[in-house]
Amino acid sequence: MDGDGPGLDAATADEIHRVQRIVQTLLRAGLVVAVVLMAVGLAMKIVSGSRHSVGVKLFALGDAGSSADLVMALGVLALALTPAFRVIALVVLWSRERDWRFVGVALAVIVTLCVAVLVGHG
Amino acid sequence: MDVSLAAVAALVTLGIFAGWLGAIIGIGGGIVIVPVLVLAFGFDIRIAVATSLVAVVATSTAAGSAYVGKGTANMRLGMTLEVATTIGGIIGGLVAVLIAPSVLSGLFAGLMLLTAALVGRRGDAEEASGEPMPADRERTEAIGWEEPGALAGAFYDDRVGGLVTYRADRVAVGGAISLLAGTVSGMLGVGGGFIKVPAMTEGMRVPIKVAAATSNFMIGVTAIASLFVYFARGYVHPYTVVPVALGVVAGASLGAATSSKVHPSLLRRILVVVLVFVAVQMALSAFGVDVGR
Repeated sequence: MDGDGPGLDAATADEIHRVQRIVQTLLRAGLVVAVVLMAVGLAMKIVSGSRHSVGVKLFALGDAGSSADLVMALGVLALALTPAFRVIALVVLWSRERDWRFVGVALAVIVTLCVAVLVGHG
Repeated sequence: MDVSLAAVAALVTLGIFAGWLGAIIGIGGGIVIVPVLVLAFGFDIRIAVATSLVAVVATSTAAGSAYVGKGTANMRLGMTLEVATTIGGIIGGLVAVLIAPSVLSGLFAGLMLLTAALVGRRGDAEEASGEPMPADRERTEAIGWEEPGALAGAFYDDRVGGLVTYRADRVAVGGAISLLAGTVSGMLGVGGGFIKVPAMTEGMRVPIKVAAATSNFMIGVTAIASLFVYFARGYVHPYTVVPVALGVVAGASLGAATSSKVHPSLLRRILVVVLVFVAVQMALSAFGVDVGR
């Protein structure tokens, strides 16, 4: 087809470009949400006058030292989840393409990330 | 520990510098962030590594969205190797939280010396050839496609003025090297691109532009595997992490805007000297010698 990928028909090329746009939008949106939460949390921390830096545990966010620490931790979590949501989005999109081989690969990555959370918690 | 407003400003500046440096000469921010947090601020190296991993995710997410938009990154290839890098990331994260911090500092010093050698060699080769090295060339724009159902694709290469097709092979070799890359990333808080890119170019015969873009695309998922381990164990300190992460995002944008005004080879020479000097400090610190702050 003219001006596009070799050996690809127009419908497939359009679908590929659509997938690329969706993943790109997802990554940008996740980054924006994370940056806003982190910036707001940092501003709250500075205004509060507290200068104490404490560790926050993923499974005990409610025990964060202050609401500012909680908002910042949520920002970090949003940032960390953005690449994970990208994997989930690709599972959905590749399922629609019936590209089962790579649906399986992406699911394996999701399972590994779940194991990471559980192993860290343990 | 307490972090003064001046220290917060210093952390933001550190992030801006790390992000800017990464955008200019293509190295991850972790190699700068971790030693500064340990040696200058006195943080436990595991807190420093967790902070660096958040910065790595921020950089990768920003860069990855740009690469995907151009179609240079091969998402199927990246996803396939991510199976290995995420397993490696878990291993690296667990090892890091279980071994003595001094051992981790010693390993990081070794990584800094290796990075200094790679950066120096790239600079020498660039001067000898008179043209930008692949790691810089791949950062130029390229438009590409990947083939559904396969580890293959094509991209438009402006140097050859046409389409370049490729097909990745030897997946087991690429996967084994990616496992190592994930382990190093999770243990030391760096992106590991210096291992993943050769895994794809040399191990799987993928063109450098595609390999570098795919590596950037993968780094975020690799980093979160180990970040979840550190986060679950309480090594993420939001008041330390956030100023650095916000700085990195700003610094990466600044680097993209100013890259044409900076001479990368001079910057590389300075960086090599600084990396060697700081590596010695990290090694001394690992052996219990007080390097002072």
